[in-house]
Amino acid sequence: MKARLKAFAIVLLSITFAFGIAACGGGKSNSGETSGGSGNSGNSGGTAQAGNSGSGGGSSQEVVEIRFTWWGDTARNDLYNAIVDRFEEEYPHIKVKREFGGWADYWDRLATQSAGGNAPDVVSMHQFYVADYARRNALLDLLTVIDSGELDVSLFPESTLDSGRVNGTLVMVPKGVTMPGWVYNTAVFDQLGIEYPDINWTYDDLINISRQVVEKSGGAMWGSADFSGGQLQPNFRYFLRQHGEDLYTEDGKLGFSRDTLVKWWSMWKEMRDEKLIPDAATVAEYDGVPLEQNLFVTDKVALFQIPANQIYLYEQQFQEGEIHMVRMPTLPGGQNGEYLEGAYLSITADSKHPKEAAQFINFFVNSKRSLELFKVEQGSPANTEMAEFVKPLLAAPQARAVDFIQTVIPYASNAVYAPAGATEVEALFKDNSTAISFGQKTVEQAADDFIAAANRILQ
Amino acid sequence: MNPKMRNALKRNAVGYIFLSPWLLGLIGLSAIPILASLYFSFTRYDMLTAPDWIGIENYRAMFDDQKWRNSMKVTLTYVFLGVPLQLIFALSIAIMLNRGIRGLRIYRAIYYVPSLFGGSVAVALLWRQLFGGEGLVNLLLRQIGLQGYNWIASPDTALYTLIVLKVWQFGAPMVIFLAALKQVPTELYEASRIDGAGKWRQFSRITLPLITPIVFFNLVMQTIQAFQAFTPAYIVSRGSGGPLDSTLFYTLYLYQKGFTHFQMGYAASMAWLLLIVIAFVTALIFLSARKWVYYQE
Repeated sequence: MKARLKAFAIVLLSITFAFGIAACGGGKSNSGETSGGSGNSGNSGGTAQAGNSGSGGGSSQEVVEIRFTWWGDTARNDLYNAIVDRFEEEYPHIKVKREFGGWADYWDRLATQSAGGNAPDVVSMHQFYVADYARRNALLDLLTVIDSGELDVSLFPESTLDSGRVNGTLVMVPKGVTMPGWVYNTAVFDQLGIEYPDINWTYDDLINISRQVVEKSGGAMWGSADFSGGQLQPNFRYFLRQHGEDLYTEDGKLGFSRDTLVKWWSMWKEMRDEKLIPDAATVAEYDGVPLEQNLFVTDKVALFQIPANQIYLYEQQFQEGEIHMVRMPTLPGGQNGEYLEGAYLSITADSKHPKEAAQFINFFVNSKRSLELFKVEQGSPANTEMAEFVKPLLAAPQARAVDFIQTVIPYASNAVYAPAGATEVEALFKDNSTAISFGQKTVEQAADDFIAAANRILQ
Repeated sequence: MNPKMRNALKRNAVGYIFLSPWLLGLIGLSAIPILASLYFSFTRYDMLTAPDWIGIENYRAMFDDQKWRNSMKVTLTYVFLGVPLQLIFALSIAIMLNRGIRGLRIYRAIYYVPSLFGGSVAVALLWRQLFGGEGLVNLLLRQIGLQGYNWIASPDTALYTLIVLKVWQFGAPMVIFLAALKQVPTELYEASRIDGAGKWRQFSRITLPLITPIVFFNLVMQTIQAFQAFTPAYIVSRGSGGPLDSTLFYTLYLYQKGFTHFQMGYAASMAWLLLIVIAFVTALIFLSARKWVYYQE
């Protein structure tokens, strides 16, 4: 009898132990995520807890937990944590778990989470990736939460909503809309004694100014960074659209001709041969470095392309001078390349709490409490009333960004969404342009290789 | 169940129960995912929609995939150059340390340190700084009047900087070599000295044959590890495998296929092929061992 009891106790103990470990494991990963989320904002986790327990007594509502994820740097993480904290204060029955990462890691992780069926409820979206998710039905049709009154988009201009539609379905709403442009530091140009570029400058101007930079700096600086490869948009895409083409067609095929591609790469090759842009090895070395180490910030190139909402981030990096932005180089006699860009919010199709997720998005894009912090972090607010509201709150470089965006938006026209396989086409584009810059392929060879392989991927 | 088995189960029940957390982990976190990846390797699977059975198409497609061939070449170069160099280096250091110098423990610890950091992100970042265009290596070269070179960012040298990184992590095999060297009976050296053998002869006729089992062990372990190297290439090239795919390790390409391009089926088949290649190379080493590994019995 005694022996049996002992055996029973051991079994019981070991089972508890086993489950204990399992529970520990779960707990660990959870707290990992939350502490990651609140780590930068100091006490955000604590505030959320207090908010919940405080209202728990009076409120009959059940506490719901949703997850929100975004990409960005440390400063943005602090900012978004603060916005989420305010949301939790206002909606004490909703607890928001935060997850974030750098741009590339963000998309890798989101893909994995979606595959595992545990994607966050509210996800940050981008034009370049949205089709991948929308075409696989991973995103909620937002009309459902707009119709039920949780999400209000009445103050969003139709064009901004249009930029969030894939095949006619609204799958994302903009946190902020932005436009890309080229920047220069006024102090650098003043020192070199070069005239500032005109807002409607051309590709010829780009080459001429680059030449002046190299001459006047005695070769200490390059004129421009090398944008011949890397990402397909915005630079190459603007060039295509100015030629009346685009990256893709509506039915997901390659949307441009070999001729235009050859023109693009030849232009950059000439600049490289003339040493107006950095050599291949330098480009490779600076590929993917964080903002504060890139070629522009370290004063190695005088002209650089960035999205307008990042102007203030760049200005912070310089001791002197203002960062001014001009349009993407224009093509005389060509069309306008502009199309609307931005950072968006989506609800995943598998979300168990679409209602609360919609309330969160609504708070994020429509409330003063949120926008007073957001300002123009990822672009100018799409909600027109909020765009006016944040204006007086802006620092000079942010105001410059908003001015630029508003000046350029009228040029924008619709853009086709990327088909499945777009990331692979982009890798191919980068490989071939790198091969040109290292002198391993001629422009014509690279163009032939690219077109053939891209057609295979997109078939 | 026959009575004998039942008895055995009863006797070991407590053992199994104590083992259960680990068993659960093994089955849930290793066995099931491994089998699932075997299944995925025969499908087209984008991770968001259901997998689509396509038979051996993924395996066939690899041989038409130029990037795949290139990644295989990069990895094989890394393994066949990196591992022997690393072992030679480790053995040389071990022999130096075995001379009975003072402060052996301190030296041993210092030389082992790189291996502790070896696979880490920090060291890979450090490597960028060392071998970059403005890096320390170029600074030193300029001091002695030589023209610098962008080691990390040039396609013809990038892989070799990673091989140097591999060699630099010689600590683990070195410690094992050192233990083996201490096992060699000193009377053998004494006897050979009386017979007039020099240092080199002592090394080639006594030391090396006696430690061949350890050389064998290190060779197998380091080869398997080298095939699976990922972190150095990922960090040094910032995930791209560049410049011009010169550091596109097999594992890095696998990662890109699976997680960047949504081709998890293809990635899974690549993983299984890698397993086969590693098994094959390891088997070759084992077969060759009969010819050169000497066990004193």
